[in-house]
Order: sequence, then C-alpha cells, then structure tokens
Amino acid sequence: MIILGIETSCDETAASVIKTSGGKIKILSNIISSQIPIHRRYGGIIPEIAARAHIENILPVIQKSLEILKNQKIDLIAVTQGPGLVTSLLVGIETAKTFSYAKKIPLMGINHLKGHIAANWLSPISAISKSEFLISKQIQIKFPALCLIVSGGHTELILMSGQTKYKKIGQTRDDAAGECFDKIAKLLNIGYPGGPAIAAEAAKLKTTNHKLQVSLPRPMFNSPDSDFSFSGLKTAVFYLVQKNKNILTNSKTKNEFIQAVCAEAQQSIIDVLIKKTIQAAEKFKVKSIILCGGVASNNELRKQFEEKIKNLTTKINFYVPERKLCTDNAVMIAMAAYFQYKNMGTKQIKKLQKNFQKIKVNPNLEI
Amino acid sequence: MKKIITHSEKQTLSLGKKIAKKLIGGEVLALNGELGSGKTVLIKGIAAGLGIKKHITSPTFVVMKIHNTDSHGKKHGLTQTGAKIPRKSVLSLHKSVYLCHIDAYRLSSGQDLINIGVKDWLAKPNTVTVIEWAERVKNILPKDTIVIKIKLCKKKNQRIINLMGIKI
Repeated sequence: MIILGIETSCDETAASVIKTSGGKIKILSNIISSQIPIHRRYGGIIPEIAARAHIENILPVIQKSLEILKNQKIDLIAVTQGPGLVTSLLVGIETAKTFSYAKKIPLMGINHLKGHIAANWLSPISAISKSEFLISKQIQIKFPALCLIVSGGHTELILMSGQTKYKKIGQTRDDAAGECFDKIAKLLNIGYPGGPAIAAEAAKLKTTNHKLQVSLPRPMFNSPDSDFSFSGLKTAVFYLVQKNKNILTNSKTKNEFIQAVCAEAQQSIIDVLIKKTIQAAEKFKVKSIILCGGVASNNELRKQFEEKIKNLTTKINFYVPERKLCTDNAVMIAMAAYFQYKNMGTKQIKKLQKNFQKIKVNPNLEI
Repeated sequence: MKKIITHSEKQTLSLGKKIAKKLIGGEVLALNGELGSGKTVLIKGIAAGLGIKKHITSPTFVVMKIHNTDSHGKKHGLTQTGAKIPRKSVLSLHKSVYLCHIDAYRLSSGQDLINIGVKDWLAKPNTVTVIEWAERVKNILPKDTIVIKIKLCKKKNQRIINLMGIKI
C-alpha cells in the first residue's frame, strides 16, 4: 500500500510517501522544509511565525513528495494530530482533511511520539533519488522493548509489549531534555537549536586548566522511579555563569569556560538519561532498548548509550534510528500509520473514510 | 504589594500552595522572572494547592497546557493533603478545578495567545490561569491580574517574591 505522511507539529513542514509490500518498505520520498533558520534569530520557535511558514510550505512540500507517484493511487493519508504547537498542527491537519475529502482517501491521525518510535523499524536511508529507492527490510525488534523518547518537548520512557502496545512508565517532571539544552544554550548565548550548539562547543573542549573545570548536578540520578527532572540543571548553569562572570568577560578564558560548561551539562543530561533507562530496562526485563526523538541525534548520547548497553551482563539489543530520522520527519508518521493499519479490523478501516469530518488537533495528546 | 523572601525550593513550593488557597477561580496570575528563577517551582506549588496530582511539566514547547483536578475532598472541606479549605476558595466552590498553564517565553504579543484559544480559559469561574513570561503578552491581561515577580538573589536558593493584587 502507498501511504502519504504529513507532519507539522513543530517547526518542520514535512511530507513523505512510503510503499509497503510483503514486509518491505520503500521510502519513495522524504521532504522536509525546516524553519530553523527563521527561528534562530529569536532563540526558539515563535508559534505565529511557525504557523505562517507552515502555510507557505505545506503545499509545495506535499507536491514535491508526490512527484514520484505519477498516477499511482494513495491508499492512506497519515497526519500528526499531536502533541505539538496547536497553530502548527492545525495547518497539517486541515490540509490532510481537505485532501482526504477531495480525493476520497482514508485518513488517519497519528500521535507524533508513536511516529518517533516507529522510525526505529527503518534501516538507514542511504540514498533516495528518482531512480533509486531505499528498500528497507523491516527491522525485527524483540519485545518487550523499552523506549526512551527525548526531544525538545518530551522526555519519556515507554514500555512496549507489542508493536502497538505502549505504556508510559516515566517522564520528566518539569522541562524536557531538549528544552534544557535550548535554555542552557540561551544562558550561554551560543545559539539555537541548543542541542547541536552545546554538542559542538563540548567537542572543542581540550582544557587541562583546572581553574576552568566545572561540575553540575545529575538531577534525580539516584531516585528509584523512572522520572526525570531537568529544570534544576538550567538553574545550576545560571549560578555557574553568575559566579564566573570575570572568566566570561575575559576573552582568553571565555571560550574554554563555555566549552567546559557545555561538556559538563551535556554529560549530566546523558548520565541521567542512560542511568534511568538502564535501571528501568532491568526492572522490566526488556529484550530491547530503543532511543528516539530529536535529542537522539546527539553523537555522544548515541555512543555512550551503545557502550553502556554492550557492557551489561544481560543481553539487551540497542536500536537508534539514523540521525536524519531522529529529528522530525514525515516518514516516521507514515510508518506509525502502517503499523496501526495492520492492526485494524475491517470495520475500523472502513471508518477511516469518514475521518476527514472527525479528526481534531490535540496539542496535549499523550501516549 | 507584598514582598516575601524564600530561602529554599521547599519554601517557594509552600508559598505556591498558600497562594492557591486564596484563589476563588477566574483569576489570571502573571509570573515574571528570569530563566532559572523558580517560576516552575512556584507553579508546582500552586497546582499542588489546587489539588492537582499530575506532574506540572513545562509548557514552553506547546505554549499552553491544561491540567485539572479529579473531584477532590470538597465534601469534607479538606484538600487531598488533608489541609482545610477556606470557605471561599476555588476548591470549595467547584467540583473540578482547571489550571491553565501558559508559557509566553516565545510569544511576541497577546494576539499569539488569542490565536491558540486562550479566551476559552481566561476568567472561567472554575479555572485559574498562570502565565509565565507574562510581560510579553501584557496587552491581553485583565486589569485585575495578580502579578508575581520573582527575583534571584546573590545568595544561592534565595528568592525575593513580590505579590501584587493578592493578599496572603
């Protein structure tokens, strides 16, 4: 079947077409029009600007994703329903509904978080061009699986007992990990998005100057539950900056100090994420650990996660999508729809025809 | 205006609880303070005081989050934590209470809030609205908005909290 995925939950306008047959998945197109350069100036996404940009982008992006199809029929439209920014979500949903109604194509609303998880069933995209499609064999992941979703809006641990069986077992009590990256980057004035900016500064660190060494807390590192907290970390960075104002005004030491803070902040976030995930994995005796969401594109996090899991006494498989599929995209939305569709009865499938009248945005949608 | 100094996260949290007990519903609370000043902590206190059990996660990403209480111990005049509810508190007046939590950090004007449907919640009798970074959306705030300013002090964990429009 051919599925068109549409994603507009945050700052990316994305559309993708996938074709599934006999356990094989072909990604026919994966179009993303990122708005990050627009938002960089403001140090974050401005909802009104995001919505306007989505409106400008959505039709060209969808059109481009469909070019490949020629006259083939689309069997299903999948669109992100939430969570996300309401004004951004609306653009995707209304476009999808109109398309579904006009072309009489069944419509499915998809939870953005389930989309991030679904990205793990795709093997890396090496090349997508007009003549050469990715043919990905669906990866087989053993259940139960524990899934860590880390992004700008979410930090959640989800236990999966089957392909479409999700249970939330832990989450952040305040800020998301990606939000923490953004806010620390803002405090240090090093740019947006915060994750890549902090990772780049941290990678430059070579200091042996002990005066510049910093230490930050590891919030909730020792708590037995599966929750996280990142709000206090940002406050700790604030105090660190206050205390070391003289270092920051000295052009000789400034850069090194910022690099040291970035390295330590990144390590603090990584330490907590890994510790809490492995703790929960052992508690629930899972066979696989899945990492996904925008923050999963952080190199250090991927590397350290893999090493830690490899060194465990019990064998647990570790999965993380290719970097391109970690950040928001529409392939993952189409994939999630495919899994959901496969699990539906004929009655439920019939109902998809009328969904253009029913689907509503839900900015606070949960798993 | 009342000036309160708190010396720990715990004290800020309990100040939030105290504020919640004075609310009768329909209020808008404008919260101003820098990154890391403890706005989240104060709101957690307010939510706990209103009897909301769920975690109050940051609305920075989605701009607005709505939380509500399940039916609370209203019959006995007690909150879930066992504290006595003042007779005119929002908790004693409504079966279920909503907390509309907004973060205006990334907004440029009040119109942005109107676009995402804030008018459905402002001044609703069973709803308390809390707006972080409220100075950015000043133009749509009602006249009787309760203004709370949090200032970081030199001493670690110490905060100066100024309350305007509410007596506690």
